[in-house]
Amino acid sequence: MIIVDDIYKRYQTEHGPGRWILQGVSLVIPPKVSVGLVGRNGAGKSTLLKLIGGVDQPNRGHIDRRCRVSWPMGFSGGLQPSLTGRQNAKFVCRIHGHEDDIPDRLAYIQDFAQLGEAFDEPIKNYSAGMRGRLQFALSLAFDFDVYISDEVTATGDAAMKKKAAEAFKNLSDHASLIMVSHGEGTLKQFCSAGIWLDNGKAHWFDDLNDALKAYKESHPK
Amino acid sequence: MTIETATDEYNRKRRSSISITLSVWNALFLREAVSRLSTSRAAWAGLLLGPVIHITFMVVMFTFVRMRTMSGIDIAVWLIVGVLFYNLFKNTSQQVKNGLGANQALFTYRQVKPIDALLVRAAMEASLSIVIIIIISFGATLFGIDLFPDDPLAVLIAFFGMWLMGLGWGLLCSVIFKLTPELGKVVDIITGPMYLLSGVILPIAHMPPFIREWLVYIPMAHGLEAARLGASSYYHAFPELDIAYLYEFALTTIFLGLGLHKRFARKLVTK
Repeated sequence: MIIVDDIYKRYQTEHGPGRWILQGVSLVIPPKVSVGLVGRNGAGKSTLLKLIGGVDQPNRGHIDRRCRVSWPMGFSGGLQPSLTGRQNAKFVCRIHGHEDDIPDRLAYIQDFAQLGEAFDEPIKNYSAGMRGRLQFALSLAFDFDVYISDEVTATGDAAMKKKAAEAFKNLSDHASLIMVSHGEGTLKQFCSAGIWLDNGKAHWFDDLNDALKAYKESHPK
Repeated sequence: MTIETATDEYNRKRRSSISITLSVWNALFLREAVSRLSTSRAAWAGLLLGPVIHITFMVVMFTFVRMRTMSGIDIAVWLIVGVLFYNLFKNTSQQVKNGLGANQALFTYRQVKPIDALLVRAAMEASLSIVIIIIISFGATLFGIDLFPDDPLAVLIAFFGMWLMGLGWGLLCSVIFKLTPELGKVVDIITGPMYLLSGVILPIAHMPPFIREWLVYIPMAHGLEAARLGASSYYHAFPELDIAYLYEFALTTIFLGLGLHKRFARKLVTK
């Protein structure tokens, strides 16, 4: 269960604080419910995901995570460019308390990301697609109760997309997802509930279709 | 599954705060070691060559003006101890100060707190300094400079004091630089002359009293003098020498630094 309690968020700009992105968002995401996030570009979908994932902090309000929540999958931070894929993966294993079974996790990550020899090259030499694959494999290598996905299925080539979709399907029996995607099909495939973000407020819908409907009706005709 | 059983299950699987912190420190330390020593070619040689060239240059300069001894000890010993111990303070504070920016990517993982990254950097710097000091001491012995300390405990106490001072100053500066970069520039300008004022290459003991009474307020000066006195009991340190002052100053800055980190914990990781 994740409790989002009245959070406000704005980013600091060169000229003082920027506009409010989220204004008083309150949500309760129950356990084992996969949620799709919809809203216009700039509505704060990725911001909300980052806050839930703990990558960034809200200016006001707080978030209570009563389960193990992943960092946002596909988030570009979190990897040190000068270190190799393997070194980065080891670091993530260690901070998650998996010092003992590093070889198993590494084998899984290597197998899933399919980077070949590039796994032992510095991340800065990776292409965007390779980086995305490594990040995706990293987050799948740990058992979280909730996986946060920001357009993950959009990265990579056709084979990778298929692999990602299969991985998500396998996850769904023991974990849930919070995902942002502009592909309606992807959302419908994985999520049952929906959140519609509009004007800094969040609206919860038990049925994803209702969220999509509300979102579409808000478009100016 | 009801909410209660889900929460129970989560509480059972949860790691304790201390075990999370320990595994984060372990991971950060190993990562820091790799990036300090092996990401660029001959990075380890650079760590050693910096102080060696600095010391050699200074020794050559001083012997050129026919200075063989300083306050009763060999000029080379005086310079080597001064430079190495001042470097310990300078490098530790700089590593800690720059730790927030350099590790921004790591704060993606909720387990890693800014203070973890900074403490680990300080520990890394202490480990590297010990290795560098030992190597340079053995190297100096080959040139006939006896660096084996007369009072090893005093040298250790000075080492630890300078390290704590670096940590405290770095902690304070890290918050200041992050929250008000403009003020950070001013701090940089003030700390620049500390190299000269702490008595690394200018002997404070030989200064006229009206200057010396001000210079002895600089905590690092006490660390350097105590280390030299520990290295050779023939050394004439300045009379105001008080190693406790260094520790008081260091612990106060550490306390203030930790306080600022606690107070602005949220702001330090907010984008």
